[in-house]
Amino acid sequence: MDQPFANSRLMYSLPWNSAYITSLAFIGNYQVAAANKNGDILVWNLDVPEGKTPSPARRLVGHSNEINRILVTPDSMTLISVSSDHTVKYWDARSVEGEPGTVVLNDGFVPKGVTEKVDKVPEPPEPIQANVVIQRPLRDLRNHAEWIHGLAQTPDGKTLVTGDDDGVIIVWDLPGGRELRRWQATQWISSLGVSPDGKTVAASQHTPFIRFKSGLEEFVPHFHFWDVETGKSRKDLSKEIKEGMSAVRYSPDGRWLVAGHGNVQTEKDQGKILVIDPADGKKIREFPGHPVGTNDLAFHPDGKHLFSCGRDQQIKVWNLESGKLVRDFGKFADRGVWIGAIAISLDGRLLAAADRAGQVVVYSLNPF
Amino acid sequence: MKMNSINNPCPWHQHRLRRDLLKGAMITAAGWALPNWGALSHSRTIAAEAKRAGKRCIMLYMEGGVSQIDTFDMKPGRPTAGPFRPIHSTVSGIEVCEYLPRMARHTDKLAVIRSMKTKSVDHGIGGYHMHTCYPSSEKVPHAEIGAMIAKYCDNPESDLPSFVKMGPAGCNAGSGYLGPTYEPFTLDTDGRLPGFANPSVSQEVQDRRGKLLEFMEQQHAREHPARPFAAHREAELRTIRLMRARKAFDVADAWNKARDRYGNTPFGRGCFTALKLVEAGVPFIEIGHDGYDSHNDNFPVHKANLKVLDPAWSSLLEDLQDRGLLQDTLVVWTSEFGRTPAINGQGGRDHFGRAWTVVLAGGGIRGGQTYGASNRDGFEVADKPVDEGAYFATIYKAMGVDHRAVHYLGSRPIWATPDGSMPIPELIG
Repeated sequence: MDQPFANSRLMYSLPWNSAYITSLAFIGNYQVAAANKNGDILVWNLDVPEGKTPSPARRLVGHSNEINRILVTPDSMTLISVSSDHTVKYWDARSVEGEPGTVVLNDGFVPKGVTEKVDKVPEPPEPIQANVVIQRPLRDLRNHAEWIHGLAQTPDGKTLVTGDDDGVIIVWDLPGGRELRRWQATQWISSLGVSPDGKTVAASQHTPFIRFKSGLEEFVPHFHFWDVETGKSRKDLSKEIKEGMSAVRYSPDGRWLVAGHGNVQTEKDQGKILVIDPADGKKIREFPGHPVGTNDLAFHPDGKHLFSCGRDQQIKVWNLESGKLVRDFGKFADRGVWIGAIAISLDGRLLAAADRAGQVVVYSLNPF
Repeated sequence: MKMNSINNPCPWHQHRLRRDLLKGAMITAAGWALPNWGALSHSRTIAAEAKRAGKRCIMLYMEGGVSQIDTFDMKPGRPTAGPFRPIHSTVSGIEVCEYLPRMARHTDKLAVIRSMKTKSVDHGIGGYHMHTCYPSSEKVPHAEIGAMIAKYCDNPESDLPSFVKMGPAGCNAGSGYLGPTYEPFTLDTDGRLPGFANPSVSQEVQDRRGKLLEFMEQQHAREHPARPFAAHREAELRTIRLMRARKAFDVADAWNKARDRYGNTPFGRGCFTALKLVEAGVPFIEIGHDGYDSHNDNFPVHKANLKVLDPAWSSLLEDLQDRGLLQDTLVVWTSEFGRTPAINGQGGRDHFGRAWTVVLAGGGIRGGQTYGASNRDGFEVADKPVDEGAYFATIYKAMGVDHRAVHYLGSRPIWATPDGSMPIPELIG
């Protein structure tokens, strides 16, 4: 019997230990972009001769706070980022033009061992510096007034949706960067997705108290299907989905909607991945996911497999039809830190994953 | 200075110690295997003075360990900073977290101690230490600060409890060696009395039942003079008194008008109830706000909590001031410890006692200042370290309570703060 992705192998480890990495996206098939806590985006060209390790090529500078999520438009021309600096920024994803500059790849904390008993920041190692092209944003959209975690687009590249910690959801004309409409949810938007036809926004709302106490009923997590035209809730799934979701994604063909438990770690059992019927919101199946929390989800372009990563330091592959775990990639970094983000190249041949210590790894995916 | 001269062979406090030891020994010799519940003459004098001053204290306790770098000791531009941004406050030079915008308008009332250096850096022991001034390892039933203030600042004529706790508190030492009279009266976070406190019978019937109960208790007490009985009797009496005074806890109508300002949360309501209890004369109220133990996801967790804290705390200060109560009401914002400057691999901060922050405001405190400092990245105290003893001594001083008040557990003397503890004069208004 074929073992999907059984021959996958680690190709590159790309150190960027400046701060923890929050999001990843491929630009086409051979460039990967990573965004971090410091508000930086770094782009590597992966198309290097055999035996060579890719070096970072571009540094996208402009955010003044943590970047929470990035995506690349379907035509691979634009990279879009959302941040805790309250802005949405557009970047030229293809250009190699810019001012020459450098980046220190290891100027952050090494969190391991920095405990109560440590009295200072560990001595920094010798700086590892790389030459890069510095690029600035094309657009700077300031329509939000809070941290933005929700970011999704339609597969035709026409509609963009963002959501923030004030519960504001904004629908944009993506090419023009123009706000089309907005509506108010009741709590923080932890993650959202937009259906491929652009008619529905599925959004998880969660105010992340560690412990939930009675008297805070207004902060109970919610999950809604919102009608994009009217900004009204079309379906309330809050009774079925009772936790905050770290990742809500529609498959490009619109067949599946998936949601991963775990935007904030609580004492409750969590980390499950729900597979939902986008039409009626009914749960089709549930994957056990990642104990303690699922951090990110990505559909493989084959339309059959879902990749996930989580707080258990694992990357896992699930068969959407059978509901079975196809394989896990083991712990790629023994640092006691989460794997926070994953992305798959357009052709489905490369997988990128990032841990919270700042390392990006790239796997070659051989589907069979 | 030597104290063993002929004219002054030993210092006065040693005389007192001997006398008190003797008294304790005599009591013990008389067969009372009981603690001496602190009823010494000099204690009564202190209590009379404190009561005359009419001091009150509200303690806002951030259970789990609140992050100093994400609240009142921010490190912008440093690798320990995190995503929160500082904002200016009404006092030049005091910046606070952007998620404390309303508290930023009250920094003229605040004394921000940025140099707490404490020893007990886990929840149980930290909670105990920051409530009693002593490490739990001493195996002595120390009294919580609330019990101590209740003892010295209570109005004995009042039917209300003298020490009220609402919500999670992180310490259950209670009145310790001070005895059952000063045990905390514990409510849920929102300050509501339990349902059984709203009886269905008339006041007259309640009073008759109370008198009957007292009579029976007195009869029983003559034959059973032991501590468990005393504690039980005390509880019964307090219940009767509470039933008379329960309206002080009934804030429902007023809360409807206040909840938008305080925030419609249990902690918000707890702060509002505390205001009402202070108005009614309760000397010590502690309100717990839990969920700060953010080893993971420190920033969203703190942000969520600060959005609850900010309206509640600021409204409490505003209302105390508007009612003319702030000058006699000390408001303490504290925790069992702070959180690490370094951000770990789970986006969290861990327990940290080496350099953290508490805030004092109101009665007896000189506001509009910071005291002490942590170093550039927040890993060490850089200036004016404050230990548990100095912190407690300062609170006691502000409350008009002798920080070296002594009580006895049997014949063993126990002081309110350890030897050498001194109030911080710069903080006292």
